Amino acid sequence: MANSSNSSLKSDALLDQMKQHLSTDAGKEIAKKVGYVYQLNISPKKIGTDVVVYTIDLKKGEVIKGPYEGGKPDATLSFKDEDFIKIALGKMNPQMAFLRGALQIKGSISAAQKFTPDIFPKPAKL
Amino acid sequence: MAMRDLVTGGADCAVPGSSSSNPLGALANALIGSSSKTQERLREIPTSQLTGPGRPFAPETHGQLPGSEFDHPPLQPNQQASNFLNAFHSAADPGLASAWNEVQAGPPPAHLREMQPSLAEFDRIYDQVPGSQHQPILDGPPQRVLSTFLHSFVESSRGGVPFHPTPLPLLGLSEGDKQCIRDRSSIMARHFFADKSEDFINAQLNALLSSLDIDTSKQVGGPQPGRFREMEDYWNESQALQRPGGHVADGWASEYSLNREKFADHDAWAQSFEQQYGANGWASEFEQEKFQLASAQNMAGGNMMNLSAMEQTRKLANTLAENNDPKFQNSKFLQFVSKMSRGELIIDDNQVKPNSLSPTDNWASEYQQQYSGGLPWADEFVSNQTNRWADEFAEEKQNVSNDPWVNEFSKLHMQDWVEEFGQQVGEGVSGEADNWANAYDEFVNEQVAAKGKMDASKGIYVFSDMNPYVGHPNPLKEGQDLFRKGLLSEAVLALEAEVMKNPENSEGWRLLGIAHAENDDDQQAIAAMKRALDVDPTNLEVLLALGVSHTNELEQAAALRYLYGWLQHHPKYGTLAKPELSDSLYYADVAGLFNEAAQMFPDDADVHIVLGVLYNLSREFDKAIASFQTALKLKPQDYSLWNKLGATQANSIQSADAILAYQQALDLKPNYVRAWANMGISYANQGLYEESIKYYVRSLSMNPKADNAWQYLRISLSCASRNDMLEACDSRNLDALQKEFPL
Repeated sequence: MANSSNSSLKSDALLDQMKQHLSTDAGKEIAKKVGYVYQLNISPKKIGTDVVVYTIDLKKGEVIKGPYEGGKPDATLSFKDEDFIKIALGKMNPQMAFLRGALQIKGSISAAQKFTPDIFPKPAKL
Repeated sequence: MAMRDLVTGGADCAVPGSSSSNPLGALANALIGSSSKTQERLREIPTSQLTGPGRPFAPETHGQLPGSEFDHPPLQPNQQASNFLNAFHSAADPGLASAWNEVQAGPPPAHLREMQPSLAEFDRIYDQVPGSQHQPILDGPPQRVLSTFLHSFVESSRGGVPFHPTPLPLLGLSEGDKQCIRDRSSIMARHFFADKSEDFINAQLNALLSSLDIDTSKQVGGPQPGRFREMEDYWNESQALQRPGGHVADGWASEYSLNREKFADHDAWAQSFEQQYGANGWASEFEQEKFQLASAQNMAGGNMMNLSAMEQTRKLANTLAENNDPKFQNSKFLQFVSKMSRGELIIDDNQVKPNSLSPTDNWASEYQQQYSGGLPWADEFVSNQTNRWADEFAEEKQNVSNDPWVNEFSKLHMQDWVEEFGQQVGEGVSGEADNWANAYDEFVNEQVAAKGKMDASKGIYVFSDMNPYVGHPNPLKEGQDLFRKGLLSEAVLALEAEVMKNPENSEGWRLLGIAHAENDDDQQAIAAMKRALDVDPTNLEVLLALGVSHTNELEQAAALRYLYGWLQHHPKYGTLAKPELSDSLYYADVAGLFNEAAQMFPDDADVHIVLGVLYNLSREFDKAIASFQTALKLKPQDYSLWNKLGATQANSIQSADAILAYQQALDLKPNYVRAWANMGISYANQGLYEESIKYYVRSLSMNPKADNAWQYLRISLSCASRNDMLEACDSRNLDALQKEFPL
């Protein structure tokens, strides 16, 4: 975990929290409700460059750093680090992000539609 | 300028029954519109006195007043200017456009330029009476007396000196006049004395009104005769005369003319258009036809989208079309939406279909009927537009079945966006808010708010509007008191007033930053702390606060830099910091140094606090919790430390423990907004949405500016299936929310 601060994403922190969150009752409830596998392609500055891949598997209830290995994810979402945080914390509506080109979606739109802020835990503030 | 609206009775603030012509209005126009200029000019006039309520009035009284000592025939340009201004004041009347036409024959700047000779004449007359002292003239015709009197009242506002009642001769004011003066002067006074207390304002007003023999307690109401038109004209004229011709661009008269041009332009345009095309312009025809068409479709199609759905998609298409991204412009989605908006595609049984009843054909024929051979542009329209549309439509018809995108889209029709879209369109009919519309509103709002947000995210401090503490004699002390009392939002305002007054006050900025952090606004906290650091680059509290706020904003590199700065500038630990490190900071190195520091002075709570923050950065929450617990043993009364412990526990999924820690913090500081918001987060993360709503609402009641908490509240409301309260959340209606979710 002692990574260089320069190469880290804001999303790392949130997805780390998500990983732990999915082990709680509330997290399991969310996984059961959604039940899709999402692959996230997160880029620090521009979509498509320096991509960091995460998989949020809400079938099994886990977050993995790296591409999905159990086949094809239900939806692949690409965004900038900043925009992912905005979507996950409810600052940006995913539909809006999609319309503005801040979010690119491949795969099932029904899966993408369930990718909303309420599946993410919210970080508390020091 | 809103102020001008108020006093001129423009916009919405007219007293019922009053016209815009009244002496105060004109007086204020003159003073506000050109106060600096006027003063400048008055200073050049040898006889004028600029101090005290008894300011000579002679320069303004010059003109065509009966009994004026500078009587001379009105000059032609004056008359024109005054006509022009009269016309402006009647702008609300239907005669506006024609008045405009009159004036258009010779635009006002030209007149004003012509006025220069008359101005020279005026100066000459003035030079002939050097040194003569002009006392306020409180006799003569009533209008004259009144305007002199009102003028001295306004003048007194500049110096902030109390206004003394003056005996006046009988003015013969009617009830309506009095009321008009009372209403306007109380509004104006509140603006002039915005920095004074209510009592002072009332005293000033009472002095004014009692002099005029106006009952101050009378209620608003009753008709008001437009009696002062003559006076207003006189005012306008004298002002216009004073204005040097070369400076028209600065003048209020030209400002008026600009405004007027804007207004008149519209009307003139509309008028000429109406003349040409009759009262029902093509715009209204168009509307009519659209409605007819749509209703025809409704009847024919049964299941077809209705009128408001069309309208909605039309709006959608417009909004989308405003996006300049060429990729987006060419996107199928936009084309799809535009087609929907034109009724070329419809949603039927949740399937997208081309509309069987082609509206383009209807259009074409309708237009041809209406404008058959009449106007060239109509022909052009028919031949170009309609054909293109028709072609496009036909093309699309063929393509519909083999277009992969449309296929994909219709494949999904049973569950997905289309269904939702149809549903929302349906909801739109019954007038319910729908997500799409919200999304566009959001888009618009975002653009409006973009600047402020950009500033905030760039670390530029954003000041509040309308700060009541501006002008406070000692805002820092006030801010400190308010902060101690736990009135964080108030403290923020007072401290903003302080740092506006003394931008170099590091303590003001620091406390402002702390207040924002406790108020759960890290971006503003960061902006304020940066300013504090500019003034005092080695302040340890500021460095730690910046480290914490950047950690909260998940900005790890920045957080690490400030925390390392804390170590560098610390008198005890500064020696540990190695200068070569600061260029490329690695978390492990910094954490190692702090561990060393903690071993040097294990009883220093601050080192443990910084270590706790550092471990939060690296998400080693167990270590972070241990550090904060150690620090708490040394500083058990530190409420922010309890909150830090709680937040760390919450982020490592120990939400139940976190709530206990937050409770400790709130026992020590009941108005700690951040802890209330964190409570809400903990409940939400445990899936206890109903519970979380109460805490969010509580924190928002103390700081309604916390955008984060509004967003989280919205999520919790929808997760708790309380969509009925979403509207209250979106409109930030705290009263309704507090009533519905009491804690």
